[in-house]
Amino acid sequence: MEMVIVAPPAPGRLEDLRRRFFATPLQALLSLASLAIMVFLAWNLLNWAIFSAVFTTSGGPEACQAAAGACWSVIAARWRIILFGLYPFEEQWRSALACVTVVVMTVLSCIPAFWTGRRIALVWGAGAVLYYVLMKGGVLGLTYVGEEAWGGLALTLFIFVTSCLIGFPLAICLALMRRSELPWISRTTGIIIDGVRSLPLISILFTFAIVLPFALPQWLAGDKLYRVILGSALFFSAYQAEIVRGGMQGVPNGQAEAAMALGMSYWQRISRILLPQAMRNALPATINQFVISFKETSLVVIVGFFEILASGNAAYGTGEWRFAYIEVYAFIAFIYFVFVFSLSRYGAFLERRMSVGER
Amino acid sequence: MKMMQWGAAALAVGLVHFAAPAEAASGKTLQTVKARGVLNCTGHDGSYLGFAEVDDKGNWKGMDIDLCKAVATAVFGDPAKLKVVPISWAQRWPSLQSGDVDIVIKASGGTLSRDTELGLQFSMSYYLGTTKVMAHKELNLKSLKDANGGSICIPAGTTIEQQVAAYAQKVGIKLEPVVIEKTEELEQAYFLGRCDMYAQWGPTLAIARVAKGKVDEHVILPDVIAVEPEVMIVRQGDDNWVDVANWTLSALLFAEQEGITSKNVDEIKAKPTSPAVAKLLGAAPGMGKGLGLPDDWAYNVIKKVGNYGEIFERNLGKESPYKMDRDLTNLWNNGGVLFPLVID
Repeated sequence: MEMVIVAPPAPGRLEDLRRRFFATPLQALLSLASLAIMVFLAWNLLNWAIFSAVFTTSGGPEACQAAAGACWSVIAARWRIILFGLYPFEEQWRSALACVTVVVMTVLSCIPAFWTGRRIALVWGAGAVLYYVLMKGGVLGLTYVGEEAWGGLALTLFIFVTSCLIGFPLAICLALMRRSELPWISRTTGIIIDGVRSLPLISILFTFAIVLPFALPQWLAGDKLYRVILGSALFFSAYQAEIVRGGMQGVPNGQAEAAMALGMSYWQRISRILLPQAMRNALPATINQFVISFKETSLVVIVGFFEILASGNAAYGTGEWRFAYIEVYAFIAFIYFVFVFSLSRYGAFLERRMSVGER
Repeated sequence: MKMMQWGAAALAVGLVHFAAPAEAASGKTLQTVKARGVLNCTGHDGSYLGFAEVDDKGNWKGMDIDLCKAVATAVFGDPAKLKVVPISWAQRWPSLQSGDVDIVIKASGGTLSRDTELGLQFSMSYYLGTTKVMAHKELNLKSLKDANGGSICIPAGTTIEQQVAAYAQKVGIKLEPVVIEKTEELEQAYFLGRCDMYAQWGPTLAIARVAKGKVDEHVILPDVIAVEPEVMIVRQGDDNWVDVANWTLSALLFAEQEGITSKNVDEIKAKPTSPAVAKLLGAAPGMGKGLGLPDDWAYNVIKKVGNYGEIFERNLGKESPYKMDRDLTNLWNNGGVLFPLVID
């Protein structure tokens, strides 16, 4: 037997509005009241942020503090500290270019046309070298700038991208090892993953940045920045491994068995059959994990790095601009928003493209 | 059994070793710094107003930073030979122990546990941090004694809460504490009138009053609730390095006492006013040898960084936005508690 559901004719837009918000007098009242509140809030916000705000530095901090609205001149005066931290002033164009490099690299690798092993490797290899040369200098006539002077947005992006870059392959390895048929491998991996997950990120960062140099010989310890990145990559991979494993468990056993019946080797089964389907399953959770990691980069402030939040603190932390911390935090929130929102919109695009919801 | 004993002994040695990994030998720090060619000193992870902040071009400035510069100048004759390492409060001692920094100058007080348990060693005090109370002017308070029954804003999770309670008990009044964690919020509460008074570390208090832009509407009461001597901190065991820190500070103070500034130091060096001054500025020999520094190190410090008074006024006092008084942080002959050691 076949069931036919006949939908009622779609209502017009006005009719739809009336039905949703003005069906009864009480509902109409509530709708109007909430509209009024929203307009009031929006007006106040706009008034503070735009109409009564001061945008130029010409009046100096005093005029700015006296204004009724926001004091955006703090951004005009100190934006270079927020974006580049303590990077030498005359060399900050290099830091800006490095930021652009990371963004371009990320955007390129998001375009489906670049999704072949060779092209991705080329983009990331070239991008990483370019970033490193720009930031660190010491070659091609660029003056040397040590890692401890890196800061602001450039540092936040660097920590995020490198931790994900190291963490993601590591996560796949961990997930495969945890599913291994040899119990001592799967159990050990399980203990490692659960161990890392049960520690707070702050304590991991602190251990890698500060405690590790006591335990390691000097030549092995490397720069603090890379130890911190390793720590956060490890943390990322422990969580991501579980996400990948979840994705793998969603792939029916029959798939692997069929591949085995066709005589495919272990690596062929993993790379051609299991992983592509598992990654598709794991995509929403993976994007989530990326977003969380991006925001967690702000924790490196605890080991003395001038990532974007610490730079913001330094930007308003001076006698003249001390009152303008709300504006600085609003500006930083906006930067975070731009990055995280594009990340999640891209995730939504990927889901549509792979039609995750439609299996 | 024997094996186990050996194992336990090895473990114990390892632990002791781990607890005090950088028990520095005398003179080792100075050698390390000289070999590296730059002094690693503490900055802040962000900004600590007046003591370590960042100017428009991303250069460090502040009271603590200038003292770092003074030590760097004493060693190298050049304040630019300084690397400021941004460090959080929690990171201070591990960073010092692991050798990330050579000296901690970070508005940190000398305490018993830091001295005895953490394996640290202090210089003389370079700043007297006092806990004070600010009140709204219209309350007409002369001292905290008049404030019986008043409400007072106090930062949460600090010793200030106990200090205020103890002080109130001592002068026989009752206060109603309003305890708030975040400094911005705490100040907001006071300035909006939720509390009659606001107790805080002196410099932070003075800076808050200035930043609000209404200096006349608030008075800082004369009561000193508590005192914390801020000191320069180094690893235990390197006596020479403690000497370098102490004598750098002492030279700054002695220069102020004798009226030697960065501007007139050359004239005075040409015509020293006393044998001690001649020795200080390297016009007569003997200032550097025992420390492992050149004889004119103190001259360089005063010439390139200034004397103590100049450093204070530039960062916290009249020439800064904060306009703080010297208060106890003044020389002994100006009503303060600071004094130089004797140059003989």
